[in-house]
Amino acid sequence: MSAHWDRREFLRAAGLSTAALALAACNSRGPAEAEKLLSYATRKNALIEQRLVRHTAMNAGSPGAAIAGDGFPSYFISTRVPVWDEAMRGAWRLEVGGMVARPVSLSLADLQGLPRRTQRVDHFCVEGWTAVAEFSGVSLRDVAALVRPDPAANFVDFQSFDDGYHESWDLESAMHPQTMIVYGKDGRDLAPAYGAPARVHSPVKLGYKNTKYLTSIMFLPKPNGGYWSDAGYEWFGGT
Amino acid sequence: MRLTHWVNAIALVVMVGSGLRIFNAYPAFARKGETFPLNPFEGTPVPSWLTFGEWLGGARHWHFAMMWVLVVNGLIYLGFIYLHGEWRDLVPRRGTARDVWAMLRFYLWLEREHPRQGKHNAMQRMAYFSMPWIAAVIVISGIAIWKPVSLGWLTALLGGYVWARFIHFAAMMALLVTAIGHVFMVFTVDPYSLRAMLTGGYDESHSPEARNARPFINLLRRSSPTAPSADLTPSSDTAEL
Repeated sequence: MSAHWDRREFLRAAGLSTAALALAACNSRGPAEAEKLLSYATRKNALIEQRLVRHTAMNAGSPGAAIAGDGFPSYFISTRVPVWDEAMRGAWRLEVGGMVARPVSLSLADLQGLPRRTQRVDHFCVEGWTAVAEFSGVSLRDVAALVRPDPAANFVDFQSFDDGYHESWDLESAMHPQTMIVYGKDGRDLAPAYGAPARVHSPVKLGYKNTKYLTSIMFLPKPNGGYWSDAGYEWFGGT
Repeated sequence: MRLTHWVNAIALVVMVGSGLRIFNAYPAFARKGETFPLNPFEGTPVPSWLTFGEWLGGARHWHFAMMWVLVVNGLIYLGFIYLHGEWRDLVPRRGTARDVWAMLRFYLWLEREHPRQGKHNAMQRMAYFSMPWIAAVIVISGIAIWKPVSLGWLTALLGGYVWARFIHFAAMMALLVTAIGHVFMVFTVDPYSLRAMLTGGYDESHSPEARNARPFINLLRRSSPTAPSADLTPSSDTAEL
């Protein structure tokens, strides 16, 4: 056998070793060595996503589609539907603060006193389903105008009373005209299953980014992860 | 060129597997509160052994990473066959449709002799020609379900998110069926082409045309060429073979 491989021998060896590697890595999670490459790709994808597509487009809410109503799935991470316990915790309030000129604490009545908007939009779940709902509430832009965020506050964190659930967002998505603090759904008060007394909703983010059972909105200089983002889903989660 | 083929093969398996894992997170197409007419298996997940990525987030990471490999690889492939003129072996010509029919008749034993062909037979030509187009549909519908708001015009063009997702799935199935058919034919009709796919070497005397090969039939090289058949009309006894 000659010391030099000809092209065919090389290709055959390369093919066989690739096949062997592929077989060795043949579990459903994929090879552990790929984890680094995957997280690299995920980070790059997030950059590409934010540079390539501006998140300023408006969602039309699928004209002609049926409103899901009670067929709208409801998720929370607590073992039971989280309900704000007034006897234990006092009246519910929404804290809006962080890097802002004038932090405020809003009661539900305060929130309902701000300009009310109603929009019929799509909801996109990371699982692949979609649902149409008519949400009523306040534009987050109007809430931001109350507190006047610092120009360096490029991120917003939405905290909840659902067992520590929270998700932080980029400012552009948070200030999208269709990003709302919602207290009504399909013409009724928001039900506990859907995040009562108030939740975040925006068609520009996947469902898991839309914090329900909202307690605070914090303007931050840096992203603060999130419940599902920290569990391995994309932090950006844009649609 | 051959490298793109194998990169394609591996990337495609990963894309289909992770795609099916993503699909299984909601194995239906209907918008919530509606029904979807074209899928008789609404709500039925695909078997988990066909999926890749273990969980939804993992499968998404694989899907969104491997898509770049597949797209870049596809562009290299297309650029290559354009620059080398090999697209001429793939683009249908006048008569390709008729030749597909002739191939079909041959495979169904309605024709005795393998139709004459160039590098590929007419069915291969159609299959390899359609694959980049199906792939383009997959990429476009994939982008549409990835950004249904930011690129909402594209999603709307495909009939909305629900239809874009269905198109993405259906086109994947079309590509998968074509690819499985291809693999099946390689092993049952022209296993000699495996060498061509790996190292580029191919002995024309082993070609399916030379062997008059049908699936599983005439896998060995013909020792003596048969006399051309005078009777080319199909007869019932050959059909029974």
